[in-house]
Amino acid sequence: MENIYLPDLAVIDRIVDETHDIKTFTLQFASRDLRKNFRFKSGQFVEASIFGAGEAPFGFASNPNHPEHFDITVRAAGVVTRAMHALKPGDYMGIRGPLGNHFPLEEVKGQDILIIAGGIGLPPLKSLIDPMLDCRGDFGQFIILYGARTPADRVYKPLLQEWSERGDITLLQTVDTPDAAWSGPVGVVTTLFEKIKLAVDRTVAFTCGPPVMIRFVIQELLAMGFAEERIISTLERYMKCGVGKCGHCAIGHKYICVDGPVFSWRQIKRLPER
Amino acid sequence: MQAGTRLVVNKQVFLDNLSLCMQKMTVIGPQKLRGGEVTFGPLRSLRGLTLDYVNDLDPLKRFFLPQREVLFAYDLSGKKPRLLQPEQERPRLLFGIRSCDVQGLAHMDGFFQGACYDELYWARRRNTLIISMACNRPNESCFCICCNGGPWLESGFDLQLTDLGEEFLIDIGSRAGRVFLEERPMPAVTASRRHETRRRELMEACDAQMVPTAYLAKACIQITNNRVREELWEEMGSECFSCGGCTHVCPCCTCFDVVDCPEGAKSGTRVRCWDSCQYSGFTREASGHNPRARAKERVKRRFYHKLSYAYIQQDGHPGCVGCGRCITVCEAFGLLDISAVVKRLRRDGQ
Repeated sequence: MENIYLPDLAVIDRIVDETHDIKTFTLQFASRDLRKNFRFKSGQFVEASIFGAGEAPFGFASNPNHPEHFDITVRAAGVVTRAMHALKPGDYMGIRGPLGNHFPLEEVKGQDILIIAGGIGLPPLKSLIDPMLDCRGDFGQFIILYGARTPADRVYKPLLQEWSERGDITLLQTVDTPDAAWSGPVGVVTTLFEKIKLAVDRTVAFTCGPPVMIRFVIQELLAMGFAEERIISTLERYMKCGVGKCGHCAIGHKYICVDGPVFSWRQIKRLPER
Repeated sequence: MQAGTRLVVNKQVFLDNLSLCMQKMTVIGPQKLRGGEVTFGPLRSLRGLTLDYVNDLDPLKRFFLPQREVLFAYDLSGKKPRLLQPEQERPRLLFGIRSCDVQGLAHMDGFFQGACYDELYWARRRNTLIISMACNRPNESCFCICCNGGPWLESGFDLQLTDLGEEFLIDIGSRAGRVFLEERPMPAVTASRRHETRRRELMEACDAQMVPTAYLAKACIQITNNRVREELWEEMGSECFSCGGCTHVCPCCTCFDVVDCPEGAKSGTRVRCWDSCQYSGFTREASGHNPRARAKERVKRRFYHKLSYAYIQQDGHPGCVGCGRCITVCEAFGLLDISAVVKRLRRDGQ
């Protein structure tokens, strides 16, 4: 039996500066076997280690159809993430994963898709958007709404540009505080709802972002008439072990790390504290 | 010898055999400290052992989920980090563990198995023989009788001893327990009717001494159905010192923190250590967001985990074995141990 707390070694291939405090790390496992056999699904996460600083959870931010490399997008916020930001390509991290459940990707084929992301909530949703766009024809209308504090706080700016130039998806972006160059909408992400047209009975909404944003997004979606199981969100909690043992991420009798992080509103509303 | 058949062995003969075991394995048993308290620890000889005890204030879960445990060591001196796993510990025999703690282990067993199998816990579990001692002398805070935690058990031990004075009456709970008896020069006889009668008398006498104080049933229903007034949680939160004592001494509490402990820049260990859902930092995220920032929410959480039907269904039983340790350690003047809380819920309940 193996030690579930022992990470595998991964090498940093590439580091991209997304904003002043967010970086994306592209990683691959050091072991050739793992590189070959590793698979993950949209919405799952890893526990990433910096030996000496500690371990923290990050959702996959890249396309699961290309599992030989994977991305995590990290804001420097605590001890571990600040240590990560000091790393260079070629440095090692410890990785445990894939962990947790995943977005229902196969199950929503044939549906219209609405993605609502806030700030650093976009990365985990990118791991869903990427494979969806790989088979764009399997879905109906495809809308992405993205809100950030300022234009500079948006992640994946070149990709956002690419998406906005595609004719087969709608990308709307908004910021709380514009800068001189910003000509788009200003306001919280829910203000974008009035700019789109939806058929709620054949749309599935996926949302990820700060807890307060998620709360308002879900309220609006329900008011628009979305069925509870058509609203899919991720829940976040402080997490240590990632395997349902340390107890930190428990909500009611669910453990976000193994029963989640992906839940439908129908599941979330039954939790005793949320 | 068959499992299920009770045997009787002369007490001194049994203890002499226990003493012989000390050469080959770590024998952990109850010993008296200078101040008179009893604690469990490794024994070098029978001289350290006491049979005059109720229980250790520290739960015996510490021998399986230690308060601080190395998950692995890292060495960063080479080009590539090297990770070193902890070494196997030598076989152990846990002698004299009380029924409540055995039930606590059963609770932890359920929790640490399954899809995410905790090998570190199970390595210790597998290499430890459990020889428990049924309780014939509860103390005033014991309420195992309310929680299926004793004083005698049907399973969970390798051997269960009943102290009959000159003899031990032995329940065999596992193959390992049977082998232990068979492999040693221990003349054992099948328990006679007289022994069985004595055992029953002891059980009844023990039950009679126990004042049932933890009426869990109603509290379980109230908590499951969210029928506890928020004001009552509020009140209890305001009384709680958030010291975490109740969770640390609880045989069913398993939460832990994981931290790196560097020893210089190039090496160190990753360690897990007990944590408590009663600490305000337990759920605090790097962003500062804290879903259980207030003691009220944390107290509520603790009892939801202990007594809600969702958890009982998942674990097979409430998260309490009636050892009474939280009654002894609660700093809040006896207001917030599990027995006090179920009483308050019951009185308040609609």
